[in-house]
Amino acid sequence: MNQGIDLQGSFVQALIDLGIPAGSAKALWLPLPMVLMLIAATVSIFVVVWLERKISAAAQQRIGPEYAGPLGTLQAVADGMKLVFKEDIIPAKSDPLLFTLGPVIVVIPVLLSFLIVPFGQNLVITDIGVGIFLWIALSSIAPIGLLMAGYSSNNKYSLLGGLRAAAQSISYEIPMALAVLAVVMMSNSLSTIDIVQQQSGHGVIGWNIIRQPVGFLIFWIAALAECERLPFDLPEAEEELVAGYQTEYTGMKFGLFYVGSYVNLVLSALLVAILYLGGWDFPIPIEMLANWLGVSETTPWLQIIMASLGVMMTLFKAYLLVFIAILMRWTVPRVRIDQLLDFGWKFLLPVSLVNLLLTAGLKLALPFAFGG
Amino acid sequence: MNLAEGVQLVSLLLLSAMMLGAALGVVLLSNIVYSAFLLGGVFVSISGLYILLNAGFVAAAQVLIYVGAVNVLILFGIMLVNKQRDFTPIPNAWIGKLATGVVCLGLFALLGAMVLGTPWALSTEAAAGDAAIMLIGEHFFSDFLLPFELASILLLMALVGAIILARREFLPDEDLDQPADQVLTLPERPRELVSAGSTGNTADESGDR
Amino acid sequence: MLKFLKQVGDYAKETAQAAKYIGQGLSVTFDHMRRRPITVQYPYEKLIPSERFRGRIHFEFDKCIACEVCVRVCPINLPVVDWAFDKGTKKKTLKHYSIDFGVCIFCGNCVEYCPTNCLSMTEEYELAAYDRHELNYDNVALGRLPYKVTEDPMVTPLRELGYLPKGVMDPHELPAGSRRAGKLPQEILEELETAEK
Repeated sequence: MNQGIDLQGSFVQALIDLGIPAGSAKALWLPLPMVLMLIAATVSIFVVVWLERKISAAAQQRIGPEYAGPLGTLQAVADGMKLVFKEDIIPAKSDPLLFTLGPVIVVIPVLLSFLIVPFGQNLVITDIGVGIFLWIALSSIAPIGLLMAGYSSNNKYSLLGGLRAAAQSISYEIPMALAVLAVVMMSNSLSTIDIVQQQSGHGVIGWNIIRQPVGFLIFWIAALAECERLPFDLPEAEEELVAGYQTEYTGMKFGLFYVGSYVNLVLSALLVAILYLGGWDFPIPIEMLANWLGVSETTPWLQIIMASLGVMMTLFKAYLLVFIAILMRWTVPRVRIDQLLDFGWKFLLPVSLVNLLLTAGLKLALPFAFGG
Repeated sequence: MNLAEGVQLVSLLLLSAMMLGAALGVVLLSNIVYSAFLLGGVFVSISGLYILLNAGFVAAAQVLIYVGAVNVLILFGIMLVNKQRDFTPIPNAWIGKLATGVVCLGLFALLGAMVLGTPWALSTEAAAGDAAIMLIGEHFFSDFLLPFELASILLLMALVGAIILARREFLPDEDLDQPADQVLTLPERPRELVSAGSTGNTADESGDR
Repeated sequence: MLKFLKQVGDYAKETAQAAKYIGQGLSVTFDHMRRRPITVQYPYEKLIPSERFRGRIHFEFDKCIACEVCVRVCPINLPVVDWAFDKGTKKKTLKHYSIDFGVCIFCGNCVEYCPTNCLSMTEEYELAAYDRHELNYDNVALGRLPYKVTEDPMVTPLRELGYLPKGVMDPHELPAGSRRAGKLPQEILEELETAEK
């Protein structure tokens, strides 16, 4: 397995050659990927909002946004501008401090989770050993923000919505963690890079979706529930709870919830792509193609092509999943709260436990196929 | 002191200040909801301290379990049982507060003396870092197997107990002799009985016919 | 034991069935995505109202004989007919006539029963106003003819689905002389007449 392009190494080396001490060169490098990732996350919101509106429109035989920018691509920017300039209302008798802090606490963990999302062999902010576990831990902070928003709004719908959101979030975290655990067990590592590495090299047949179809479904369902996407969007079910914990929010505070939910959707899709669909891996093993064409793997241009192809594959897989989520939104009706909790605790949890047990058994029985 | 050490020191000071401030807030604030949210702050700061100690897995587990589960459950408890109750002011309440303060300070002094007096054996080995997960797993399944299993059995018992309590099947029988719950009725105005032929309307109608 | 296994089997079957139904639903939604948008870009494009469209009522002052049939057949006696008896000609002369379109339900009874055909339906349906009293049309306003959609240079007229040629679903960019599917009413009438002869 080759190491691909080492952007960090080249950058730091270039600065050291310019006469900057090694420590400062590294410190100069540090913020670059973070800022890049933040920008990528922000742009991904625009893309997802546009996709959501266009695909929803197509599914309902409408046109969707059309006038803001070519094909309405700037509609999300226009909406964002509107939210930024809107009056920021804090309702009377609410708790201003918690009211402001709520959306912040919802958004920060989501953005922080991008730390561990790899787009290529070296295209990741940090390859920490805790890896995917960090994401599970961080996503468990969000319910606190939701409870905070729900409580501080001084509104019964908000409180109910916040409680529902938190209940939903903590119930679906368990099946999701168990599904991740099965994958982790097969790849012997929590690091996202290692998880992709273990899947790559054999094209489609090496991906975890082949070995873990049940785990894939559990993870995807639980991820949709965590993102409060439509079959499970009852914390903000407008027919019963007005808008749940978002009821009293306007302006950029509402904008933060909006940003949080869409970034979370992108993040979940990216993680499904990484955990189950082989991350940056091409459906046909590219090394094989290169060998077949008689090109060495270490050729610089091939490496650049592979790196960009990797980023594109990751994004393509993630947006395919986003597309399925949007299609799901217009297909499946919303579940009731008791059905939601029944489904999480009485169906997904046992199934994911059985899946974990089966994976462990298969790992012992067939170590060559299930990562011995 | 190079850059990394400076960053570490500043983070340590910030996290300690955050933790102590949040912890004092948990104890001293009168609003219980604020206390609960600040408790989350305490847990997050502790997990930050773990990260400074190169214990990433413990930090993530701290966030997952204490912030994501324990604190959320505390908040649930507070928000679902939010009964406003006015306490009658107790005369001479300051005696109780003073006693609490003295006990707390005494405990703090005791612990402080213990911390300062113990000759801590500082390990010179490098921290395990990312390999800690493997080490923790090995310990769980070798020399700490019994406590690990006992803890899991304890949790299972708590789980079963909670389910039984929630199902309310084995609660002690209530007095069946007492009359069953009264039929719940809405406080409505007693309906006035109106006889059909007495009002003016009906007369008009009949006139029309 | 067997019963338990059967339960598990039934549960698994139900789960598979639910998954199948969700898949079917997804395919229906997916199929809808390739269908043409039915959007009419309203202020710029308008549908051509059909022949018997019941829009705002048109009134011809000079034809009216102030018989008040319209008032009697109206479900809520809406038209206001203000007339005076002229002793010289021994006829009623109409002074004012008005209909409040904020109240009218466009049932068309008045048009149906008017003995002199002075009431008729138009194609106008854009009756939005800032004040509901603006919808109370007097005889002058009732006498105005609406702008035809097909003659408005600002508007692209679009045919409704029933007026498109056979097999065509998109009203945009129809060829100039294209005619609707099936026969026109007058053609059917002509055919009947020739058959009778």
